Amino acid sequence: MDIFTIDELRKTFTNGDMKEEILKGINLTLKEGEITALVGPSGSGKSTLLTIAAGLQPASDGNISFNGHNLTSMTAEQMRRIRAKKFGFVFQFAHLVPFLTVQEQLDLMLDVSEANMKKEKREQEIDYILDRVGLSHRKQAYPSSLSGGEKQRVAIARAIIHNPQILFADEPTASLDSKKSKEIMSLIRYLTKTLNITTLMVTHDEEMLSYVDHVVKMSDGRVV
Amino acid sequence: MSIAWKEIKKNKMRFFILGSIIFLVSLLTFIISGLANGLSQDNASLIKDLPSGYFYMNSDAEENYNLSRIDHSVQEQMVSKHKDAVAFSIEMGFLNDESDKQRSVAFVASTDSRLFESVAPGEIILDRSLKKEGVKVGDTLTLKPFNEPLVVKRFVDQKKFSHAPVAYLNMEDYKQMYRAEEMQLLFIPGENSTQNFKGLQSFSNKDFLNTIPSYSAEQMSLNMIVWFLIVISGMLFGIFFYMMNVQKIGLYGILKAIGVKTSNLFKMMWTQMLFITILSLTLSVGFSQLFNKVAPEGMPYHLTNETTLQLSIVFLVIGFIGATLSGMQIKKVEPLQAIQQGEV
Repeated sequence: MDIFTIDELRKTFTNGDMKEEILKGINLTLKEGEITALVGPSGSGKSTLLTIAAGLQPASDGNISFNGHNLTSMTAEQMRRIRAKKFGFVFQFAHLVPFLTVQEQLDLMLDVSEANMKKEKREQEIDYILDRVGLSHRKQAYPSSLSGGEKQRVAIARAIIHNPQILFADEPTASLDSKKSKEIMSLIRYLTKTLNITTLMVTHDEEMLSYVDHVVKMSDGRVV
Repeated sequence: MSIAWKEIKKNKMRFFILGSIIFLVSLLTFIISGLANGLSQDNASLIKDLPSGYFYMNSDAEENYNLSRIDHSVQEQMVSKHKDAVAFSIEMGFLNDESDKQRSVAFVASTDSRLFESVAPGEIILDRSLKKEGVKVGDTLTLKPFNEPLVVKRFVDQKKFSHAPVAYLNMEDYKQMYRAEEMQLLFIPGENSTQNFKGLQSFSNKDFLNTIPSYSAEQMSLNMIVWFLIVISGMLFGIFFYMMNVQKIGLYGILKAIGVKTSNLFKMMWTQMLFITILSLTLSVGFSQLFNKVAPEGMPYHLTNETTLQLSIVFLVIGFIGATLSGMQIKKVEPLQAIQQGEV
C-alpha cells in the first residue's frame, strides 16, 4: 500500500541573481513497511529530497502526499504536529539532548508526540525499545558517557518510541565504522520490519544497500 | 520534572555562575540603594517620616523655608480649622555640652502636635545619635550664640534634618531665643488636595523636600547612581541570558526538528530565567538585610521593603526581557541548519 507519494517535486535555491535547481521534478512512492534508500553522488540532491519530504524545508514546486494529506500545503504548525506524531528522525549524528539521560531522551519524545500514556505504560514502552536496541543497561547514562554506536542506537530508539509511520534517516551510519554501521542498519531493518514502519534513508555506502527493499538512484537532481 | 529543571540539574556549574552574577549585581544594587536611601533619611528623616499632606510657606519666601514667616492670624485660623495642622520652624545651630564641645544640630520648634515632640520650657529633646556621642539625659547644654541653658529630657529615634541631628525646642524658648514672633511653616497632614490660602504657597511632601538646600542635588546624584546601576545590571542580565541561549541554538534546532513546539522552548527558557533570578534575588535580599545588621555604626543605610520589592520586580522584568530577546533567536532557528551544523 502506498503511504507516501512525491509528485514532480522541485527545489530551487536563489543566490542573488543566480538560481540553482537542486531537484528537477522528482517522483517517488514509498510503500508501507518498506525501506527505500536514496543513493547517488554528492550534490545529487538526495539529502535535500529527504529533508523536504520530512517537512524540514519547503519545496519550490510539486506535491507530497502522506496518508492522503498534501504536506506541501500545510502550515508550519500542522507540519510540526505531523513531524512530532507521525515521523521519526535519525541523522548522521545522534543529536541527543546533552543534559538528558537515555531514558529521559525517550520520555521527552513521548511528551513531544503527545502520547497519552500513564507513567507505568511509558516506562514499559521505554524498557521495550531499549531492550530492542540493546541498551537496557544504559538507561540512566548521559550522552557524554556513550560510545558513537550507542548514541546512534539511542537516536534510533528516540525516532521510533512514539511508533511513527515513517522513519527518515539521513546517512545514519556515516559517523560510524564498518562494523557498527552494519549493526545499526541491521537494527533499523529489524525494528522497522517488526513495527511496520516505512523508511526513507539516504546513504552513500553501497554495503548498506543489502538491508533495504528498494534503491532509488539520483543524479543531478533527478531519479535515474 | 521539566526539561528546564533537568538542564539546570545537569549543568549546575553553568547556572551557578550565571546565578552568582545576578546575585552579586543585584546585591550591589540593593546595597547602593540602601546607602542612597540612608543618606536621604539622614538628610531629611524629620520631614520624610511625616504623613503625606501639604506644607505651606510664605509666597514671598521664594521657596526657601528660612525666609518664610507665617502670619500669626493665618496660623491661628488654619490651626483652629484643621485639628491636626501644625506650625513649626527649623533653624540650624549649635549646642555646646558641659565640656564646651560644640555640636551642629537642627532646632525644631512647633505648636502642640502629635507629629512633633512636645517640649517644656528650658528642656530639649534630642536625636539618639547625640546619645552615642556621649550626651546623657539630664545634661545641660548651651544653645549658642544665645547662651541659653537647656536640659536634655530624652532622646528620640532617627530624627535628622540636613544631615544634622534634630533638637526639639519649646516654641516659646524658640521665639525668645531667635526673636521670631512667627513660625516658618505650616503642615496639614492627611489632605489629598492643596488648599488656597492668600499669601501662602503649598507644597506636597516630595515638593517640600526638594526645597531643602542640597537635598534635591544630593538625591539626584544618588538616584542617578542607582538607576545607572539598574540599567547596567539589566544589560548584564540580558547579555548573560542571551549568551546562554545562543550557545544552545543547535540544541533548540534539533528539538524543533523532532517536533518540540517553539512555545515550549520559550517556556523552558523563561522557567530557567525565573528560577535563577528568583533564587539569586532571594539571596541578595537576605544578604542586603544582613548588611543592615552588620554595617558600621553611624553608616546611613536604609533599605525599605518597598524599595526591595520595587528593585526585585525591576530585575525580574529586565531578566524576562533579556531572556525573551535572546529567545527571538530560537524563533528564527531552522531545524535543518542545526542538523547540518553537526553534533550539539
